[in-house]
Amino acid sequence: MFKKVAIVAAGVFLLTSAQMTSAQSARDYISIVGSSTVYPFATVVAEQFGKTTDYKTPKIESTGSGGGYKLFCAGVGVEHPDITNASRRIKSTELEQCQANGVQDVVEVKIGYDGIVFANSTKADSMNISRKDIFLALAKEVPDPNGGENTVPNPYKTWKDVNESLPDKKIEVLGPPPTSGTRDAFVEMVMEEGGNSFDWIKALSKSDSSKYKAIAHTVREDGAYIEAGENDNLIVQKLDSNPDAFGIFGFSFLDQNTDKIQGAPIDGVEPTFDAIADGSYPVSRPLYFYVKKAHVDVIPGMKEYLNEFTSEMAWGPDGYLVDKGMIPMPDAERNQFGADVKDLKTLESVD
Amino acid sequence: MTEPQSLKPKLKPTADGRVSRDNRQTVGDQFIDNPRMTCRDVNVYYADKQAINNVSLDIGSNEVISMIGPSGCGKSTFLRCLNRMNDTIDTCRVTGEIKMDGHNIYSNEIDVVALRAQVGIVFQKPNPFPKSIYENIAYGPRIHGLVENKTEMDEIVETSIKRAGLWEEVKDRLDQPGTGLSGGQQQRLCIARTIAVGPEVILMDEPCSALDPIATAIIEDLIDELRQHFSIAIVTHSMQQASRVSQRTAYFHLGDLIEVGPTSRIFTSPRHELTEDYITGRFG
Amino acid sequence: MNRKIETESDVVIYPKKTMDIVKRGLARRYRSERRFKFLGLSAIVASLVFLTLLFASIIGNGYTAFWQTFIRLDIYFDPHILTKDNLSRANYPGLVKSSLHSLFPDVSGRRNLRALDGLVSKGAAFELRKMVLNDPELIGTTQSIWVTADDDLDMLVKGHIDRSVPEIARRISNLQLSWIDTLSDQGRIRKQFNTAFFTNGDSREPELAGIRGAAVGSFYTLIVTLLLSFPIGVASAVYLEEFAPKNRLTDIIEVNINNLAAVPSIVFGLLGLAVFLNFAGLPRSAPLVGGLVLTLMTLPTIIISGRAALKSVPPSIREGALGIGASKTQMVMHHVLPLALPGMLTGTIIGMAQALGETAPLLMIGMVAFIVDVPGGFTDPSTVLPVQIFLWADSPERAFVERTSAAIIVLLGFLIVMNATAVFLRKRFERRW
Ligand SMILES: Nc1ncnc2c1ncn2[C@@H]1O[C@H](COP(=O)(O)OP(=O)(O)OP(=O)(O)O)[C@@H](O)[C@H]1O
Ligand SMILES: [Mg+2]
Repeated sequence: MFKKVAIVAAGVFLLTSAQMTSAQSARDYISIVGSSTVYPFATVVAEQFGKTTDYKTPKIESTGSGGGYKLFCAGVGVEHPDITNASRRIKSTELEQCQANGVQDVVEVKIGYDGIVFANSTKADSMNISRKDIFLALAKEVPDPNGGENTVPNPYKTWKDVNESLPDKKIEVLGPPPTSGTRDAFVEMVMEEGGNSFDWIKALSKSDSSKYKAIAHTVREDGAYIEAGENDNLIVQKLDSNPDAFGIFGFSFLDQNTDKIQGAPIDGVEPTFDAIADGSYPVSRPLYFYVKKAHVDVIPGMKEYLNEFTSEMAWGPDGYLVDKGMIPMPDAERNQFGADVKDLKTLESVD
Repeated sequence: MTEPQSLKPKLKPTADGRVSRDNRQTVGDQFIDNPRMTCRDVNVYYADKQAINNVSLDIGSNEVISMIGPSGCGKSTFLRCLNRMNDTIDTCRVTGEIKMDGHNIYSNEIDVVALRAQVGIVFQKPNPFPKSIYENIAYGPRIHGLVENKTEMDEIVETSIKRAGLWEEVKDRLDQPGTGLSGGQQQRLCIARTIAVGPEVILMDEPCSALDPIATAIIEDLIDELRQHFSIAIVTHSMQQASRVSQRTAYFHLGDLIEVGPTSRIFTSPRHELTEDYITGRFG
Repeated sequence: MNRKIETESDVVIYPKKTMDIVKRGLARRYRSERRFKFLGLSAIVASLVFLTLLFASIIGNGYTAFWQTFIRLDIYFDPHILTKDNLSRANYPGLVKSSLHSLFPDVSGRRNLRALDGLVSKGAAFELRKMVLNDPELIGTTQSIWVTADDDLDMLVKGHIDRSVPEIARRISNLQLSWIDTLSDQGRIRKQFNTAFFTNGDSREPELAGIRGAAVGSFYTLIVTLLLSFPIGVASAVYLEEFAPKNRLTDIIEVNINNLAAVPSIVFGLLGLAVFLNFAGLPRSAPLVGGLVLTLMTLPTIIISGRAALKSVPPSIREGALGIGASKTQMVMHHVLPLALPGMLTGTIIGMAQALGETAPLLMIGMVAFIVDVPGGFTDPSTVLPVQIFLWADSPERAFVERTSAAIIVLLGFLIVMNATAVFLRKRFERRW
């Protein structure tokens, strides 16, 4: 019996190693990595592409933007991904890393926007809130309420403590952990801006950036902010069962659950489709993907995939990505990027 | 018990010519002409504890030697040295010299597998394999390649079981598990298993301890018959059995071999006080 | 009790009081026995209750996913659209749309037509395409066909969308509701068994998403794991337990194996990334690599349980075999191993069940990915069941909630089948004594 098992094992090994060599020498599907925010959109495109062409459906890994850049920039060759998705622009250090590893030509494609919403259950009243309010409610250290240019540990317990006009409800916010791209964007667009509403903090950003970050980037840890994991669905469920709580997550989850949750207007602007698209809603971020030019002619279907993604049917205002909650770019921007993709215009530098 | 032989008190005959109970040197005919196996100064230790103390003894061809003595005196331990079964116990260490046909069985030139095929053993506790009755017997001949075909194997199985006096009871259920037999049946199955290989020396550790008088008689007849060709060492607690089947008897006491001699003499006129105490039932 | 009476005949007997004392103690003994039994029983009941709750909640959430809403459309296979040379690329969505539009001829305007088209799944076009490719005779005829409905409609039919909430807060508009009601009155809407769930790979459209890809991926991965970890694990256990000398080196090995069993599984993923992908250059996301990584993870479990099983084989059996002249290898192969095998199998199945439920180490080697095509071999990109569950749980569409639970049901089903196999195998092996 043991002989038999050994023979079968050896056989499988031989077979697979034979397969392996062939798998290594050529890859007949597109390999995509990157942001979990772009993942729901990229997957739709990939599926559509796979179903309507004779190419295989691309494989998409959700590694987070940073992880995506790391894999993407590791080198040229079939064992490295062809495309990385990102919910933030590539950093100059990352681009340098890419080039150091022989990934010389990278095409940048902006695909649209994602809004970050501050939402609660529809069972509760909506709350009009400013970024300053959110900063004061969630920062670990806040400016001394008695005036002066120093900070104290966040003393606020209720929203009313933060701002007289807000309801007398306990501060309880469910949000993403530090590893998440949503958290990065939230900190950058809400907490920083909220902090900047105090002139002396804003001044710090120039004079003492580490102190500035300590104030504007640090979220309180006394239980008012609850890290709810990477799963936005979970936050939605928790909000539904706890009408006093607020949640922070991507717009697409609000879009899919409008019967259960409502987005709070931030600085007076409701998180609607149009408000995000025209840029009046303050908390939105661009979504990108980056293409390895050296792979375009090697991996079958790359051009067609790019065509699919940048077709009006996909990223246009009536496209299927919009159905999935992506906010499209204005026409001019879309045409610009569409043309860049056609020419495979390489990214020279980022600032 | 660890004192070397030289420190033992000298032979000190008592008034009636017996050897005193303080003396621990072997009395009697340890050595014989033309021995099949010879043991010289055998010591056995379990970790630090010594279980056999400087035992020297010969086992002759075509003879049955019985080993008697109180419980825990080292009979099984000694018996197990004779086919190196003690190798399987990690803590067990054997010193001294045991030879078979002039070759040291503990030396490298002797293969332990071949030795055990030649020197078979029946254990104190019956330990049939958890396989069928047939398979229990057939296993030995099969691994040694003693048979050519199924008919020969059937024959070996049948004769072995018959000789162990078990045939009538199991002939209809050879395919049933050996572990499903009664204690006494298992004991006979183990005897049949051992003789199926055809060993030249057979070590039996209380082979009849769980048997009724009829089965015992069958085994004793078997031992008698085997003696025609082979040597047999048997451990028993039954003095009657020892006197019925054996030509020589060895009496062990707390790891020492106290007295060896022709069975008839040992039981009629023991020369050592300890032996006398034991066989007259004053001890053990 | 220590007081004993020495009688003349030197026989030691205890006073009559013995029975009194025994009887007095009896009640207490039985009480403690009953207490112990009760504790054990409550423990069992508690765990059963939790298990039932877990199953009830998962099944309650998930069973609806096994049904799917379909819409009956009268499709005219227009020969102008389906010309001979473009059968595979023809405008199938157009066929679906024109059929829908003919049902509601009054609907006009781009936005409204889009809303109407949205009632039917994007998959419907692919279903038609498959039909035509199978049977070109259809061209020119009009057929009444049940096509898959969109996930929002499906959710409405299953009662997961509340009609009473304001229109703005609903995924389905009032207009769509009226169309759905019309369709429903015409008997054009019904629920069918959701075969797509079992035959499709992943999809971003919940109504098209299936677990076939993940299940097949799990299968390939586990095959690799089993084929490697079982023989290696058993051989290691046998060698360490039966043959290896007992010295410092084997002690170190033993300690290390025990440590490995406690290492968080993500570490094996990192190791797999470094060794199998970066060093050996094996393909990313492949069941082969997944299997290798999971092999590393399950080996300690199999070795440890294998050694325990070998240890539990009574020494008398070993002596019996050695006593009639079996070599050590024969003793192990013929007697010890067959007796230890049921225990080893149990350990292996437990290890495999762990491997089946593992996601963390697979993250590092790229098996947490969106993969639509059902893998066809050990090196095709694929994912596994728990990863599929994880990915669906993280998808925004409401309909994925029930599918997540349904996938969990399937995973649990696999686990039950595996464990039942283990029990069955054990019984079979044990019946051979
Ligand atoms: N595996 C072992 N490890 C440690 N000590 C052992 C072992 N086997 C036997 N002994 C010890 O060695 C001594 C001799 O034991 P042995 O089994 O040889 O006695 P015995 O004469 O066969 O007794 P019995 O008539 O009861 O079978 C005893 O003191 C026993 O405790
Ligand atoms: Mg004994």
